[in-house]
Amino acid sequence: MPHQCVKCGAFYGSGSDEILNGCTKCGGKLFFFVKKGKEELFAEQRKADLTSHDREQIERDVYDLIGDEIDRDMPVVLDLESIRILKPGQYELDLVHLFHEKQPLVYKLEDGKYMVDLIESFKKLRKEK
Amino acid sequence: MINVFKKFLNLFFKDLFKEKGQVKLGLYGPPNGGKTTLANKICKDWIGEEMGRTSKIAHETREVQIKEQITIKRDGKELTFSLVDTPGIATKIDYEEFIRAGMNETEAKTRAKEATKGVIDAIKWLDDMDCVIVVLDGTKDPYTQVNITIIGNLEARKIPVLLVANKVDLKKADIKHVRAAFPQYEVIGISAKTGEGVDAFYEKLFELRNKALKNKR
Repeated sequence: MPHQCVKCGAFYGSGSDEILNGCTKCGGKLFFFVKKGKEELFAEQRKADLTSHDREQIERDVYDLIGDEIDRDMPVVLDLESIRILKPGQYELDLVHLFHEKQPLVYKLEDGKYMVDLIESFKKLRKEK
Repeated sequence: MINVFKKFLNLFFKDLFKEKGQVKLGLYGPPNGGKTTLANKICKDWIGEEMGRTSKIAHETREVQIKEQITIKRDGKELTFSLVDTPGIATKIDYEEFIRAGMNETEAKTRAKEATKGVIDAIKWLDDMDCVIVVLDGTKDPYTQVNITIIGNLEARKIPVLLVANKVDLKKADIKHVRAAFPQYEVIGISAKTGEGVDAFYEKLFELRNKALKNKR
């Protein structure tokens, strides 16, 4: 399954070094998990919808939303969806997901682009154990 | 022997009061329903100080606020609890709404981001609540996704709930409509702003606390 850099939109395959070390084009550490076969569609949508300034702003906002606990030097791969950021300052919240105790906290940035709050997810896993 | 008896009494009362003091009462609901106005009313009435700032612009409360050890006294009974005021829960937060209310773009976008974080935090805090007051705006349609999701989740988590239809001082308020929307719950009509119906509300808090303590045992 491919992953797309949140900041510049570059695609990388699962398990690539770039996902572990950061995007080679822009240094970004946030990656969207993209379903196989949808890469082109998402690449097009992103170009049309958001400017590079918007993308950088969204990246900063997502880090702020997650909080200070997350290590910004570590790569984060995005999964399910709870919050959709349409553009900077516009958010759609899926309350059913957010209220669901066992769901990891995830941010969705446009269709097919997601972010998981790993810290919270791990806390939940530890609790379950 | 007397000492042993004293020790027992001390332990018994300590546990009793500790248990009462540990009740966490959460205020939940959509933005601008009057959660902070109600929190301020409770705090002013019983500890003489306000809890948070209110505003006509939605999402004024963007962080969870707590006031510990509030004691309500009525007819020789006492009720001690911690009051938790939470940010309004919404399905959509748009900075353009704040711009229309007079904010500049940067302020509006920051408010939207903080309000989104506030929703997440409010939901995270839900597990810590022993009982919850859902504060609804009595002048608005109660059949919303936010109201239904909050109340449904509280029921699923078996957290005792009291529904409050706020703003009954306004002509548009319609408690019957709120009652019809949630017939399985008790709905108390109040005006946190004018104090109307607040006495009956305090009385209901004792019942809510008792349900919460029953759950804890």
